[in-house]
Amino acid sequence: MAESIMTPSRKTSPASAPRYSGWIGRLAGNPIYAGTIGRIANSRAVRLTILLGVPLVWIAALHIGPIYQMLRISLLENYPAAADGQNAYTLSNYRLFFEEPLYFIPFIRTLIFAAVVTLCTLLIVYPVAYYVAKVVKPKNRVRALLLLLIPFWAGELIRTFSVIMLLANRGAVNVLLREIGLIDRPIPMLYTYFSLSFGVVYLIALYMLLPLYSAIEKIPPQLIHAADDLGAGPWQRFRRVILPLSRDGIVSGCSLVYLTTVGVFAAPLLLGGPETVIFPEVIATLFHGSNDKWPEGAAFSIIMLVVSLSTVGLFMKIVGGRSVRLM
Amino acid sequence: MRHYFNDLPKTALTAGYWLFVAYLLLPLTLMMSMSFKDANFIAFPIQDWTLRWYGVVLQDRQFLDAVAYSAFIAFATTICATVIGVWIALVVANEGIWGRAAIFALACLPAVVPGLINAISMRIFIRVIDLPTGTAAIILAHTVHAVPFVVIMALTRLRSMPRNLTDAARDLGADPFIAFVRVTIPYLMPALLGGMIFCVLTSIDDFVRTFFLGGYKPTLPMLIFAKVQGGMSPQINAMATIVLIATALIGLYAEYLTRRARK
Repeated sequence: MAESIMTPSRKTSPASAPRYSGWIGRLAGNPIYAGTIGRIANSRAVRLTILLGVPLVWIAALHIGPIYQMLRISLLENYPAAADGQNAYTLSNYRLFFEEPLYFIPFIRTLIFAAVVTLCTLLIVYPVAYYVAKVVKPKNRVRALLLLLIPFWAGELIRTFSVIMLLANRGAVNVLLREIGLIDRPIPMLYTYFSLSFGVVYLIALYMLLPLYSAIEKIPPQLIHAADDLGAGPWQRFRRVILPLSRDGIVSGCSLVYLTTVGVFAAPLLLGGPETVIFPEVIATLFHGSNDKWPEGAAFSIIMLVVSLSTVGLFMKIVGGRSVRLM
Repeated sequence: MRHYFNDLPKTALTAGYWLFVAYLLLPLTLMMSMSFKDANFIAFPIQDWTLRWYGVVLQDRQFLDAVAYSAFIAFATTICATVIGVWIALVVANEGIWGRAAIFALACLPAVVPGLINAISMRIFIRVIDLPTGTAAIILAHTVHAVPFVVIMALTRLRSMPRNLTDAARDLGADPFIAFVRVTIPYLMPALLGGMIFCVLTSIDDFVRTFFLGGYKPTLPMLIFAKVQGGMSPQINAMATIVLIATALIGLYAEYLTRRARK
């Protein structure tokens, strides 16, 4: 309302162009600008079209498009189409998944592996997040957090490679154990479930740390003190006050870790062995090499996507977090 | 007595924190120290120390090419992701638009799809639209991956922006475009810088998307992967150490920027 009283000139006489300083003034005063961008910017309909156009096209084409294409190809008999051009829609790619234990078992293995890794990460990271958020003095908090963030600026591959330095047969752990005489022969740790989960936890701990930290930091200390005054011991304070109030952080952290672990790819290639073949590797082989089977690979990817997202959805429903924050 | 019991969890927590710090830093420290080993193979203990591996790496054509290639991809990704991400954020922040929540959810979709599935769906997509694997495909996939994060960062900042800032600009006679350039963009800048550095880091780090979409030219992670698989020498460690230090410095700078933006 105030707008219409104070600025009648803007609508009635656009010719009395305002004066700006610097380059923007020269731009705004330029007749070419006034005729093109200036005119577009002053028309609400055109403005809205431009504002909406690019984002909607981008999202439709590149956020939904690839998944739609994956779904479409997963229902095709052949891709690329067979020589005679016939290409029927079929569900046989999905049926194959349930009939062939070679595919089915790594899939189950992946789900269990991801669940175990998520639980371990939660148990390891929760006390650390609690320590930084509540025990460390506020002025040291940023420094305590930064110390934990440093490793995550190293890339996925470099961190995976670093784990090899630690766990290899002539790696630090085995050499140290032999030096102090505990073992004669190196313990084979690399290419096992141990090295794989060690590496994956190492890769993803940050996704658990940040949501947990921000949730725990928000708990008012008065509540903890009140529980203390009312006679609750440390365990009871944790169980009845801190844990329920950090639920949002637990849900976001676990969801992020689970989804990342299900799709982890470099770590199993470098740290896993023949006994630890998990589903991502199975899918990848269907897209690479000479006898690639794209429809099967697409079908398996769809199965994995649906199952992992619905697992997380179910988990959120049961535990009851309000929303997953991505950062 | 009571006091003693209250201190016990605190001591345990402190110990747990430092153990966790050790867990995070030990592998990287070992990896870096191995780059100074004076031998042609990777194994502990390190008896002789040398700097020669750094000389080898810095003269390695392949490594320098990969650095330049990764930097180029990261640069292009950052520009594209920032433009698209801010654009989407402006739509979502605009209260007059119907279905904003759905647009936001779909804009975040690539961030919740597991990385491998994302890479495979992009691989299928570029084959359907007849785009060859290689530079353009990698940039496209990295951009799709980075956009949700830019949207979230820009949106957080936009929501904290007082509405009357643009209204004031309009009252003073700026048209919507000039108000956007002179008011909204400068206000967004700190969040954008943080977001851009985040884009650079995720693009340089990315392995799985490049693995499926890359051509013959290796990016940094692909080069390191190839070297790790084909016999190891401390040269890889020197290479990884250089990359690690560079990305850590970029990351620290981003952290500093985002912290300043929140104040």
